[in-house]
Amino acid sequence: MLARLLALTTLLNSSYSLRELSARRHEIGGVLLVLCASLLLAAGQQGIDLAGAAVDPLKQAPGKVIVLVFVRTDCPISNRYAPLIKEMNAKYAAGAAFYLVFPDKDESPEQIRGYLLEYGYKMPALRDPEHALVKKSQVKVTPEVAVFDAKRELVYRGRIDNLYLDFGKARRAATTHELADAIEAASKGVAPPAAAVDGIGCFISDLQ
Amino acid sequence: MKRRAHAIGAAVTFFALLTALAWQSNSTTKSRRQSAAANPPVTFNRDIAPIFYHYCANCHRPGEAAPFSLLTYKDAKSHAKQIAAVTQSRFMPPWLPEPGTFKFADELRLSEEQIALIAKWVEGGAIEGEASDLPPKPEFVEGWQIGKPDLIIKAEKPYLLPAKGTDQYWNFIFRTPVNQTRWLKAMEIRPGDKRLVHHANVLVDRTQSARLQESSAGAGFGGMEIKIESEGFDPDSHFLFWKPGTVPYTEPEGMALRLDAGTDLVLNIHLQPSGKPESIQPSLGLYFTDHPATRFPMLLQMENDRKLDIPAGAKDFIVTDEFTVPEDVQLLAIYPHAHYVGHDLQASAKFPDGARKPLIHIPAWNLNWQAVYRYATPVDLPAGTIVSMRYSYDNSEENPLNPNDPPKRVTAGNSSNDEMAHLWLQVLPRAAASGANDPRRALQEAMARHNVEKNPADFEAHYNLAAMLQARGKLAEAMKQYELALQLRPEDATVNNAIAGVNMAAGHPDAAIKYLIAALHARPDYFDAQYNLGTALAMTEDFKGAEEHFRAAVRINPQDANAEANLGGVLAETGNLKEARTHLERALALDPNNALARENLDQLKRESPHNQ
Repeated sequence: MLARLLALTTLLNSSYSLRELSARRHEIGGVLLVLCASLLLAAGQQGIDLAGAAVDPLKQAPGKVIVLVFVRTDCPISNRYAPLIKEMNAKYAAGAAFYLVFPDKDESPEQIRGYLLEYGYKMPALRDPEHALVKKSQVKVTPEVAVFDAKRELVYRGRIDNLYLDFGKARRAATTHELADAIEAASKGVAPPAAAVDGIGCFISDLQ
Repeated sequence: MKRRAHAIGAAVTFFALLTALAWQSNSTTKSRRQSAAANPPVTFNRDIAPIFYHYCANCHRPGEAAPFSLLTYKDAKSHAKQIAAVTQSRFMPPWLPEPGTFKFADELRLSEEQIALIAKWVEGGAIEGEASDLPPKPEFVEGWQIGKPDLIIKAEKPYLLPAKGTDQYWNFIFRTPVNQTRWLKAMEIRPGDKRLVHHANVLVDRTQSARLQESSAGAGFGGMEIKIESEGFDPDSHFLFWKPGTVPYTEPEGMALRLDAGTDLVLNIHLQPSGKPESIQPSLGLYFTDHPATRFPMLLQMENDRKLDIPAGAKDFIVTDEFTVPEDVQLLAIYPHAHYVGHDLQASAKFPDGARKPLIHIPAWNLNWQAVYRYATPVDLPAGTIVSMRYSYDNSEENPLNPNDPPKRVTAGNSSNDEMAHLWLQVLPRAAASGANDPRRALQEAMARHNVEKNPADFEAHYNLAAMLQARGKLAEAMKQYELALQLRPEDATVNNAIAGVNMAAGHPDAAIKYLIAALHARPDYFDAQYNLGTALAMTEDFKGAEEHFRAAVRINPQDANAEANLGGVLAETGNLKEARTHLERALALDPNNALARENLDQLKRESPHNQ
């Protein structure tokens, strides 16, 4: 599994041309090329919508703030945030475009559609099987969010709020609201109070 | 297909590692290789699956409480790093007590070695290993865990759990459809959706007292703690508890729980919103035995709620209680209970030989994972053993579970924002229960005495001790306690009536009368006091006065044969033979075995045969 991680990093952080890749193929073996070919599709900052089309969320909704919300259908912590995520989407609809991002490659479009229905989500959903958006956003767990300003700079990465302190330890109510702060700051073109605050949730790194 | 892909992935790993190492010195490479050979890699199939099967799979499998399954390599792999983290922090598997002197049944505690092994497996790439190393999958019973129940009762109405918000507590009342006394040897609590329910408790309500809290029959009611009233001597005896992964406990032979017609079972459940609206409709599976109970365990409640007055910000607020066990008992199970400010909960026993041993120690209490802990082997507590509880509360802002932000003063109470300091012990007396010599009475008396010492200004403590002493025939001492209760509440109908009862039993009906008048002044429709005043007046030969109060008693409760019989008796004494006969016959209609009514009616017929 380590090899896949290394290959992925190399690919995304450099500008190998296809020719260079195929040259490397001879060194490393056939397996990587197969991997890389599928990575090309998701390279850069694209997700895959539920119909299978590549979508770069950062190229959508010009002028608006983009919010990527990373969730997993079997993560009880991100599930518990569903009502709040929906509320925030509605509240900031005028100035921010929300995307749910599913980083588990084993979650099928059908499974995700069922999940959206079950939790009453009405926002666009993207699969991120090769973690292109995860890398771009630097998120670590579900639920974490990434907030990009109108210039598509990543201005905040991390938890939605401080409801959870640890696994199984939640406050009665959150007392800080990092996502709301970040959206409001990004809408005004100023830096949010924090650039990154780690969240509590299900490890995305388990999904490679 | 999958397995092949993994095999290739592993091969590439090895290659990449060697390449990286080639940059370093040869000697390092050599030593790494040697240690790799000496320590074969940790694999799922050989090393990890046995741990997961034993400690995790009971909940982490499809349809159970946990959010994902851990039965297969693929399941485990996709949560591997998280598993390493949560086992390291001991969040999982959820097991609150520290290892101590006495072992609990079904301990779910990983050893340090097991935790290290999981960490090593993840560091080594969470590899699958040889298929031949994989032990057979554990077999789980589908559906009802110990076979088809003799009786299944489903909650009349579902509870609708909102999508968001804080934890919810709900009570369902199950009206037990038994028309004669049955003996319950086991109960499976099916809380509805297991993913949503943290724990559930069933309380036996023999007087249907919880029904008063329902807005309409079958509606259920909210609330974290409920109070069940009891009449007479019938102490609680069994823990009926569910938490994720619970397999129903079958009582040993002779220790079944009595279930009478008209008994309600009240299910109290703790739920956590999931992010979408949910409907919860629990059911209970009851398993009966033909063997009535011959051994009678009892629940003893230690507590010190009166001391719970925790200032805002207090970090280590201590509450203690101590109880000296008056009889030889075996401790079967223990159930510590506090709310969200509770932090470090301990109980210990100081044995008559002076040795002190911990009974339980929970260093980081979490209400969400509360449980009844049953000892693997019962713990002998000889008479004279002192059981102590010592609870520490953290009401500072550093306690993340603190219900108040910023912290504020917390006192005892039933809501989840209040606190509790309770420790329940299930004990089985060594001596057999034989008629009046029931060792549980001595235990209850000792507990009642203890409560009076702890709470000398508590009406209920004095009243309960007095009632216990009266039941054991210790009338003089009972009177003293009743009088203390009366000092606290001079107008209370119950205690006035009770004092009159002791006087009458001691042959002083004249002394009883003023207390009964006081009781009826407070509560004119109090059947017991009307009946007792009728009796006391009759004993002092005031039959006219007695007639008035027996009439009142019959009006309040027309189904009471004794009241009818006594009314008939005093009417006969005042010469009202015709009406006397009517009431004596009514008494016999209500209870054909009422000896007093039969005797008086026969005498009436002999003395005034013309009246037939």
